[in-house]
Amino acid sequence: MKRGYLGEFEEIVLLTVAVMEGGAYGVAVTHEIAEQTGRSVRLNQVHAALERLEDKGMLKSEMGEPTAERGGRRKRLFTTTAYGRRTLQEIQEVRESFWAKLLNPFRPATSL
Amino acid sequence: MLDVGSACSLLIIHCSFIKNMKPPRFADRILQFFCAPHNLEEIQGDLYEEFQYQLLRVGERRAKWRYWRDVLGFVLSSALKKRPTEYSTTYLTNPIMLRNYFKIAFRNLVKNKTFSAVNMLGLALGLACSLMIMLWVQDERSVDGFHANKDQLYRIYMREYFSGKVQGVIWTPGPLAEELTKSIPEIQYATPYEWVSDQTFSVGTKVHKQATNSVGPDFFKMFSYKLLEGTAEAALKDRNGLAISRRMAELFFGSPEAAIGKPIRFDNRTDLRVTAVFENVPANSTLKFDCLRNWDAYVADGNDWAKGWGSTDPLTFFMLRADRNGVPADPAKVEAKIQHLLDKFNRDEGKPFRTELAMQPFHDYYLNSNIKDAHMDGGRIEYVRLFSFVAVFILLIACINFMNLATARSAKRAKEVGVRKVVGAMRAVLIGQFVGEAMLLTICSVFLAVLFVGLLLPSFNTLTGKQIELPIYGFSFWGVLVGLTFLTGLLAGSYPAFFLSSMQPIRVLKGSWKVDTQSTWFRQGLVVFQFSLSIILIVGMIIIYRQVEYVQTKNLGYDRENLVYFPVEGDLKKNYDVLKTELSQLPTVRQVSHMTASPASNGSGTEGISWAGSDPNDKVRFTPVGVGYDFVKTMNLKLVDGRDFSNAFPTDSTGFLINEAALKVMGFKHPIGQTITWGDKKGTIVGVLKDFHFQSLHTTIRPLIAYLREKRPDGNVLVRIKAGKTTEALAQLEAVCKKLNPDFPFTYQFTDQEYARQYQSEQVVSRLSNYFAFLAIFISCLGLFGLATFTAEQRTKEIGIRKVLGASVVSIVGLLSQKFLKPVAIAIVISSPVAWWAMNQWLQGFVYKTDIEWWIFALAGALAVLIALLTVSFQSIKAALMNPVKSLRSE
Repeated sequence: MKRGYLGEFEEIVLLTVAVMEGGAYGVAVTHEIAEQTGRSVRLNQVHAALERLEDKGMLKSEMGEPTAERGGRRKRLFTTTAYGRRTLQEIQEVRESFWAKLLNPFRPATSL
Repeated sequence: MLDVGSACSLLIIHCSFIKNMKPPRFADRILQFFCAPHNLEEIQGDLYEEFQYQLLRVGERRAKWRYWRDVLGFVLSSALKKRPTEYSTTYLTNPIMLRNYFKIAFRNLVKNKTFSAVNMLGLALGLACSLMIMLWVQDERSVDGFHANKDQLYRIYMREYFSGKVQGVIWTPGPLAEELTKSIPEIQYATPYEWVSDQTFSVGTKVHKQATNSVGPDFFKMFSYKLLEGTAEAALKDRNGLAISRRMAELFFGSPEAAIGKPIRFDNRTDLRVTAVFENVPANSTLKFDCLRNWDAYVADGNDWAKGWGSTDPLTFFMLRADRNGVPADPAKVEAKIQHLLDKFNRDEGKPFRTELAMQPFHDYYLNSNIKDAHMDGGRIEYVRLFSFVAVFILLIACINFMNLATARSAKRAKEVGVRKVVGAMRAVLIGQFVGEAMLLTICSVFLAVLFVGLLLPSFNTLTGKQIELPIYGFSFWGVLVGLTFLTGLLAGSYPAFFLSSMQPIRVLKGSWKVDTQSTWFRQGLVVFQFSLSIILIVGMIIIYRQVEYVQTKNLGYDRENLVYFPVEGDLKKNYDVLKTELSQLPTVRQVSHMTASPASNGSGTEGISWAGSDPNDKVRFTPVGVGYDFVKTMNLKLVDGRDFSNAFPTDSTGFLINEAALKVMGFKHPIGQTITWGDKKGTIVGVLKDFHFQSLHTTIRPLIAYLREKRPDGNVLVRIKAGKTTEALAQLEAVCKKLNPDFPFTYQFTDQEYARQYQSEQVVSRLSNYFAFLAIFISCLGLFGLATFTAEQRTKEIGIRKVLGASVVSIVGLLSQKFLKPVAIAIVISSPVAWWAMNQWLQGFVYKTDIEWWIFALAGALAVLIALLTVSFQSIKAALMNPVKSLRSE
């Protein structure tokens, strides 16, 4: 089976959703990414990515509870699907196999 | 791991006071408008949450700013795409539906051929008419628009103040142009412009008369008449220079190239040289001439008056100086500066008069050439306005036809609307359909109209004396057409569309739907409106026709038939006595005399006349005319008192003839023998002439003073010829003139023709108004015809039953016609006062005019009723004659 293609940003969003374990929705994901990567991420970019990932079947969503600061509106809570999780794993494996093949691993001092 | 969402919600609970802060409402609206409904809740929720978070982090202002940025981000991103649903929505632009609309529209047109033809023809005629008028108006407005400096060009006129009165004068003193450039720095160029006169030019054996004028040396720098040969700088610099038109160059020299630098003889006494050749003056130029002379040469050529400030004759034009960026000087400032320019020249020789200068943009001159209360106001612009109104009127009438027929036929389409609504057509979709149908018909009509205009334009041009072409290649023309199509389509289609789409399917399909009274009222109202406009146009037509007729047949106080005149020129000046003797001996000639002006239009004026008891502060403008012996007899004038000049009285050389208007001003009880002073000349009154019209009927008869000018005849020779012998008389006149004055071609004019020429624009207007009134009533009747057809069709069964029960044909025709006569009758009542007011305004332009009589309205009304009746009765009679068996057979 051919692995679904993921862009870099989609991968980050997918990872974030996986990390947040059920608490993932638009604003939360945006803030989490901003915090972890230091990028300035726009809400609509995250929304677009979430929607694309859902279309690809890597995420599924359901409506959560309404809260006051949302003006009584519900959140859409995202969770990863098995297919999404496997995709993440495959990416990880591919990377690791490349890292292992690296003859001259970078010295820890210069790496991040 | 940090759950930012819950963290900030905690924060917000602590800082609940901030909750009152709302994100920008307008941004919210935008989001709601653009966002796909299934995504809205989630996205808006996220945005709100983010806003609250940012509110704490960066404050209200920046939070709001970020909110806007995020909303716009969403609007621009693809996140708002609508999710495809399994239910299809009806789009107005769905190709299948579009095809259906076209099919239905086409079927409807074909099914009701009469209606479609009436509709389309009416609309096309109305559009053609409006288009034609639009072209004409555009052409009128474009006159003098070709001058590159048109925003800098102005014309001077004068306001003369005396004894509490003010009068506007378009004639200006000769030295004014030079003075303007000298003393007002904002004025770059100025030129006098004399009055065009026909002068004789000769090259070798070729002798022709050409329209000649005299202008200042900067004329070609100011006005954009294209020079083919020579330069604007040198064209009129030389005193013996002459700028000629291409036509004149071809006439004398064969080509413009051959003409430049060649000598040409002027008036058989002066040799001039061609210094420039210009392209023939275009039709849309107010100034018209074949050749131009140098102004100084003109002044030196026996026109000494033009050196002083007292006499006025030429027009004066000037051009404002533009700064480096091409922005002309402020005209208001210049106007203030020139206002009192004349004070220092003491024009009025110490008398308590005052002359001020005023200016008018040059391109306004053509349309606004009337002087009213010392301001330039009105003129041809009134006709432009009048016909613009007529264009709108006729288009309106045509649109009303369309609306009327479409709503009348609504019953036929009610079922269609019902079915469409049941299967889910929204009202907007139906409105779109019907407006679209109207638009389609309009497009066809527009094409038809353009075709009509193209066919009729040549005859329209001969009628109006214009050279209008259909601007097929003009982008703006097509723009206007598209605009007109949309406007007409919307206007004509909107009411039927709203009306039809408002039907309730349940009532329509059950069959209980009827045309309600409200829409009947509306339709009747439209017919009233239509006929009101038509009647106004008919009344206008009758009154304009009567005024033109009045002008043509009015007794002018002299006999303008069989009165020929030709200029005193060349050798005729010294041989006048011989000429008179020889002409008098001709069998076809009754009398011979001469005068300094032409009999039908004498516009000159003088103010330097005083008499015993005249008020030195009052300024009365007299019209002077120098005449020969037998003037009264030749013109066929009547004497109220005294006698004509006669060589039996040698003292007559200082005598005067005055008219009744002059006598009234002077106030003499016994005028004969009273002394009049004119400048340094003194003389006595020998006769009083009964008032006669020596100017157009637009103006009152002014005081006239005639003096004997037997020694140095100037102007025109007047010849009264015998009736019915015109051709022989002209041949004999020409022979005599050729003999006495061989170097000049013989040109003559008929007084009655010259007189009629003054009313050319009125005649054109009269003929145009005939056509337009006819068109208006025709289009209205087309509509009425359609309505009558429809009613007769609808009432077939009723008529059948009536006939079975014994109604006569006459009573049925009466029944059907009556319904249509009522709106026409109301229209007569409404339109009569409006027409009276409008035509009264028009007649104000004439001092001598016809009365507006009651029978004109009666005639117009009767005409409208008659035409309406004829239109309707065709259908009514057809319906009434129908065999009731046929109409009642099937049910």
